[in-house]
Amino acid sequence: MKQSLQMTVNGQRHTVEVEPWRLLLDVLRDDLGLMGAKRGCGEGYCGCCTVLLDRKAVHACCVLALRAAGREITTIEGLAVEKKLDPLQETFVARGATQCGYCTPGMILSAKALLVKNPHPTEDEVKIALSGNLCRCTGYAKIVEAVLCAASSAQERNL
Amino acid sequence: MRRVKRARKESLMASYSLVGKPLPLVDGVEKVTGRSVYGTDMSLPGMLYGKILRSPYAHARILSVDASEAKRMPGVHAVITADDLPAKRVGVALRDEWVLARDKVRFIGEPVAAVAASDESIAEEALRAIRVEYEELPAVFSIEESLKADAPLVHEELGTYEPSPYIFRFMRPTAGTNVASHIKIRKGNTEKALRETDWAFEDTYYYSRAHHCYMEPHAVLAHATEEKVLLWTNSQRTFDVRAYVADYFGLAQHKVRVMNTKIGGGFGGKITPKLEPIATALSRSSGRPVKITFTRQEEFAATGGQHSAKVKIKSAGRRDGTIVAREMEVTWDAGAAADLGVSVSLLAGAVGVSGPYQISNLKVDSYLVYTNSVNPGAFRGMGMQQVCWAVESQMDTIAERLGMDAVEFRMKNAIVEGSRSATGEVLHSVNVKECLAKVAEAMEWDKKPQQPNRGKGIAIWHKFSAPSTSSSAVVKLNGDGTVVVLTGASEIGQGSTTVLAQIAGEELGVRLEDVTVVSADTEVTPFDHGTFSSRVTHHAGNAVRLAAIDAREQLLKIAAELLAKHKVTGEQLEILDGQVCLKGNHAVGLPLAQVVLASESRVGLPVIGRGSFRGLGRFQLDPETGQSDVPAASEWIYVAQGAEVEVDLETGKVKVLRLVGAYDCGKAINPLLVHGQIEGSLMMGLGSTLYEKIELDNGQVMNPSFMDYLIPTVLESPPMEVFVMEDNPHECGPYGAKGIGEAGIVAVAAAVGNAVYRAAGVRIKEAPLTGNRVLEAIEEQRGIPTRG
Repeated sequence: MKQSLQMTVNGQRHTVEVEPWRLLLDVLRDDLGLMGAKRGCGEGYCGCCTVLLDRKAVHACCVLALRAAGREITTIEGLAVEKKLDPLQETFVARGATQCGYCTPGMILSAKALLVKNPHPTEDEVKIALSGNLCRCTGYAKIVEAVLCAASSAQERNL
Repeated sequence: MRRVKRARKESLMASYSLVGKPLPLVDGVEKVTGRSVYGTDMSLPGMLYGKILRSPYAHARILSVDASEAKRMPGVHAVITADDLPAKRVGVALRDEWVLARDKVRFIGEPVAAVAASDESIAEEALRAIRVEYEELPAVFSIEESLKADAPLVHEELGTYEPSPYIFRFMRPTAGTNVASHIKIRKGNTEKALRETDWAFEDTYYYSRAHHCYMEPHAVLAHATEEKVLLWTNSQRTFDVRAYVADYFGLAQHKVRVMNTKIGGGFGGKITPKLEPIATALSRSSGRPVKITFTRQEEFAATGGQHSAKVKIKSAGRRDGTIVAREMEVTWDAGAAADLGVSVSLLAGAVGVSGPYQISNLKVDSYLVYTNSVNPGAFRGMGMQQVCWAVESQMDTIAERLGMDAVEFRMKNAIVEGSRSATGEVLHSVNVKECLAKVAEAMEWDKKPQQPNRGKGIAIWHKFSAPSTSSSAVVKLNGDGTVVVLTGASEIGQGSTTVLAQIAGEELGVRLEDVTVVSADTEVTPFDHGTFSSRVTHHAGNAVRLAAIDAREQLLKIAAELLAKHKVTGEQLEILDGQVCLKGNHAVGLPLAQVVLASESRVGLPVIGRGSFRGLGRFQLDPETGQSDVPAASEWIYVAQGAEVEVDLETGKVKVLRLVGAYDCGKAINPLLVHGQIEGSLMMGLGSTLYEKIELDNGQVMNPSFMDYLIPTVLESPPMEVFVMEDNPHECGPYGAKGIGEAGIVAVAAAVGNAVYRAAGVRIKEAPLTGNRVLEAIEEQRGIPTRG
């Protein structure tokens, strides 16, 4: 029994018909064609599927799509504004914080959720915010560096 | 030697425009914007979803398989069992496996049947409707059980199996036993040497099974028609997949096209074709494209990870600290199939077994032993960390008993330029002592940590790239002066696309953004053995370099003709910033684009460069002695690893305060990526040092999820100090480069174990060094009885 789901994704309003058991991750990928959020485990442990739900990081593989009704979702595809990369996207490339790239969309969005709430985090705060996102390629050092660097560059821009 | 020196000099002197620069990934923006298309993202119109029915028994006879009900279910388009497949065994080294089990199952998780349906839930329901009758058989779950004289046989037919065409020469199965392979080294005379030495110590060390945990699961999309099989895969070796699938289905190789998607990590885990034959069979049967994606649970339970190993080691030597003899018995748990365990038991169990040490009397037996569990395969490090763990832990215990400093003891026995390897190869471009000195200095080895529960540890090791592999490349010039590189090597996140673009751009005098790299499509890109064994920069890098030089020579020849009025030859010209110009007088020249256009239209010879490269060495080890005059490695790299830890004496928890290492890579073509490879490799090594173990209970994987199998998160990532050693270019490397992907992982466990000993006074002989294990050792030492 499908239900009508209205939500705003990356600034655009969408209406999709979904069965109540469907997951946000699958609706984003299969119905809206937004493939940036990845399934790494499907159990909420790896963080590859992280998206922002009302500016908070969630595991889209563990959120029922209907829970997103009337809410705002940001996926990695919506992070760059008018093709201008978010500072996090820039620093992730420049600092070597992405290798295979499979964890990267989720990692960046978890970092984004942190910076929205706390624009000047300490290294420990960055680590805690990213502790739900696994990465097997980088060893994390360059990821932490990229987030701190994005935070400080955003700070400079505001000044 | 002269060649080495020349390469060294050239590499140190040369100034490059792109090589040696810490450039970000050329496909980085694609990755951070979510535009990369991975195996899991692939789809085709009309695509079905494949699922695999797996054995619930570790060892059982299959009495019957009834798939009739599943076949009748709405939405199910294909159901296949062994009867629907060629009656051929498969295997990358020894043909000891069935694509779908036939007659009996040998491990929990072995594929028995597969279905393709219009969605995943229907496919899962169909699996439940397949009735399989089994009769359980006695099983073996450990190498000790497996080696008993009356042990049940995992493969009764061992001895009759055909070797695969790939790496068959090193398979030494023993019929009537569970020994899949036995490799020997007999060098000098250990028996005699042991009688004459001043000391001898014997220890046994264990290393557990770990999983690769690439973030992207295996995913394959197959579209098979009468005319052709198309496969999109996140495999690390596309040409191998093609050969495997073509051979299995009896097809000519041009009827099978294998294409790489973007690959979300591999680490060796995506080498052996696992899904491709099944997806192909389902697509042939249904007439529709079929995609199979492993669940994370399947990844843990049905792909085997890394080989656990038992390493018995006896070393003997003189009072002055010289090691004179060593005897080793290395036993690898193969699981139910030999697979690339054959290579592990050869590479780490023989060729690299002694570590970077000069030992004139060496006796080694490396056994690959079947058990009734899912079989491990290739894994970053290829067995080296397991052996290093044993050898380098023992090195510390010996140094202590001899009253020698651990660094000094290693320095005394370490190899130098011209030393011989365990298998008799004369070694060149050796810098392990320099690496060790660097680490000892950086971690202030002489200074003891102030806090009593802190300790420093050190270990050295080596890694080599497999011999006898080749790469080829094509470099094409476009009419606007931009460049297309075709390579059969897979980009798995290591950054080969960027490194190969740097090399092509360097040789052709164009900007990095003017180069595009097409990676691994068996009908577009030239042959390459693929991405494994830290081989791509060295091998594919050379192929691309040679192809670019070939293209450049063609360009300069045509340019010389175009510049005829200046009376120049091709040798007098060079390409700089997209301009072909006269060396020493840049006023005389032409835009590169103009030369390419002339080559296409006026001359009728579009510029297409080709290059190929075969790494040094060949496996020609004598079967009885393991000795060979021919190098058994393409290129060796050296590693020194330091670790500083703090042990909580109440809980046993080990906290790594920092990792310090020096890693020989010949030449860092891209230092940013080299650091990234080392750091990632270190963390992977730290995972199986402290936390990771696939828990098997009677062949059943007990922790098949990230909730129960813990890999390091960012919170476990310690400060890492990485020294990239570039003083030691390889004579055959592109710009002197060797491989670096596996350098970080090999010596972490040993360095941490040695540090734990100095911090807590306990010598742990089994990795991972979990809190429980360390605490038990501390309590045992204090005389506290072990808790139930």
